[in-house]
Amino acid sequence: MIDVRFEHVSKRYRLRQHARYPARREQEFWAVRDLSFDVQHGETVGLIGHNGAGKSTILKLLSRITAPTAGTITLNGRLAALIEVGSGFHPELTGRENIFLSGSILGMKRREIARKLDRIIEFSGVERFVDMPVKWYSSGMFVRLGFSVAAHLEADILLVDEVLAVGDAAFQIRCYERIGELRRAGTTMLFISHDLVSIEKLSDRVMLMDHGRLVASGEPRAIVREYQQLVASTYASDVADAVMPSGTGVARITDVRFLKRDGGEIFSTCTGDPLRALVDIDITSLVHDAVVEVFYYSRDGRTLHCQQSTALSGGPFSLAPGRRRLEFTCESMGLQPGIYAIGATVRERGGARTIDWWYGGGVLAVEPGKSVRGHFYAPHEWRWADAGNAPEHHPADV
Amino acid sequence: MSTVIIRPASSAWLHLGDHLVRLREYTDLLHTLSLHRISVRYKQTSLGVLWAVLQPLLMMVIFTGVFSVLAKMPSEGAPYALFAYTALLPWTFFSTTVANATNSLVTHTHLITRVYFPREILPITYLIAGVFDFAIGFFVLLGLMAWFHVPLTLQMWNLIPVIALLAAWSLSVSLVLAVVQVRFRDIGVALPVLLQLWMFGSPIIYPLSALPESWRTWYLLNPMAGIVSSCRDILLRGVAPDPVPLRFAMIVTVIALPIAYLFFKRAEATMADLI
Repeated sequence: MIDVRFEHVSKRYRLRQHARYPARREQEFWAVRDLSFDVQHGETVGLIGHNGAGKSTILKLLSRITAPTAGTITLNGRLAALIEVGSGFHPELTGRENIFLSGSILGMKRREIARKLDRIIEFSGVERFVDMPVKWYSSGMFVRLGFSVAAHLEADILLVDEVLAVGDAAFQIRCYERIGELRRAGTTMLFISHDLVSIEKLSDRVMLMDHGRLVASGEPRAIVREYQQLVASTYASDVADAVMPSGTGVARITDVRFLKRDGGEIFSTCTGDPLRALVDIDITSLVHDAVVEVFYYSRDGRTLHCQQSTALSGGPFSLAPGRRRLEFTCESMGLQPGIYAIGATVRERGGARTIDWWYGGGVLAVEPGKSVRGHFYAPHEWRWADAGNAPEHHPADV
Repeated sequence: MSTVIIRPASSAWLHLGDHLVRLREYTDLLHTLSLHRISVRYKQTSLGVLWAVLQPLLMMVIFTGVFSVLAKMPSEGAPYALFAYTALLPWTFFSTTVANATNSLVTHTHLITRVYFPREILPITYLIAGVFDFAIGFFVLLGLMAWFHVPLTLQMWNLIPVIALLAAWSLSVSLVLAVVQVRFRDIGVALPVLLQLWMFGSPIIYPLSALPESWRTWYLLNPMAGIVSSCRDILLRGVAPDPVPLRFAMIVTVIALPIAYLFFKRAEATMADLI
């Protein structure tokens, strides 16, 4: 059975340029263009795509916040959106009163709210303050309470928008559990997240949106991979524009590549896997005491990692004229899943003078491997430390 | 299992029946939000609900002072205070409802951009809160009538359809202005002046009979004229309301309400994009 059906749905936004004469100088923008798809009953569908690809618009259309410009959407069953609605609270009312208020705003019947009241309060973790006006609440409590109400909606179709952005880690885990619970109960789900790992983990199917159109739909792993490639190509040009070319011409970096352990070139790797990076350099005259570096940038341009040919304490390293190739090896690469731009420099140690700065649009995609939590992965092991057990070592693979 | 079909914004004009069915599904929300309006309105005020009594009474005292004592307005033989109050009661209902409802959408931007519910619920809750104030004001009126020895008659029952008409007209104006306010915030700024003008264009401080005969037809196109004068007929004189002004008010409202509602629903479809 089909729970959600989009038939040639388009949504146009008009961007007003002039406040006083809104009729004039309007710019059109199609957030969704001629979109058709079905979602089966009980299916969990993840929506991915860069900002402005039309994901949020799809959820807005589904939840009827705004109407399509053309096409029709058919829904079978009750739809609810799992969003944080604390902003629907009234500061003068108590937490309990606000549960009723925001519950009915979300479309719950009073009786339904009364029945679930205890569970909602428990989920939110604000039991002690529930009879206090919410104006005394901390912002975290406020958000948690608002979200808890939404998490207890009874729905056949559930929309989930960036649920992981809400609350602290413990609360996020509770939200995850709740989503799993609803999923097992046969709720049809559509969700958006920038977290590709959870998209891949939770979805039965992933749809990739680009510029308002559906470009791919299918098996989560394959579609996430396709998305990473799509991001890599746009990403590379983004960062390239920001980096200015420079150099004195004595040495020039011509290429940076990544290799598998056995030697084949790769464009993606997994967290915790070994990584080899090759840097090709053309040297025209001798450089005393040089440093070669490979940079790994995040999308916002921060340097997340840098590999150096010489540690600060190492001896001098000279570059003799000719075509040289440097290899950086790493036993266990610590970057978390994501897309990283690659840059490389040759410079004189001590002096600030950069001899060459390479940016050739290099990108490294990192996929989930040994670690998915935290900011980075560091190699580690574990063993039983109590006396009764043999001191057997285990690699800590996740 | 219920099937919902979401259609393009441009077809919102056509599905009046669907809109009403959907509104009915949200009676619980309407109920909760209206109670909420009433309960928070006078929260944090030290006089609380007493304000619902004081507001029209103070207006009455001021109007009596200015228009009767100073300006010597005619009042068709009735005590001016009562004459003013019988008009101020429906007028205050109209003006506060319209003023609140006009802002009801823009003050709930955070809800409109995040949650769906039939948006007309927002202006309607202010209308219902207005009915609550009206009821309190009505008890004050009964007290005033006893004070001035004006007898209650069976004509009182005629007040019910007149109040229904008042509510329907207030709703029509509210729906339209609330939508216009989303697009042009100018309305909110201009509204106090507009309502002031409207008051002088309705028989509030003067009787309908004070009007030149040649103006009458145009004047009566304003439903507030028929509504207010009907209230006076019923309450002050204890007679059935003059059918002509009442009929004008009815015809205008019956035409205006469905148009206003559909206009609202058409705008609702893309409201979240503009607000």
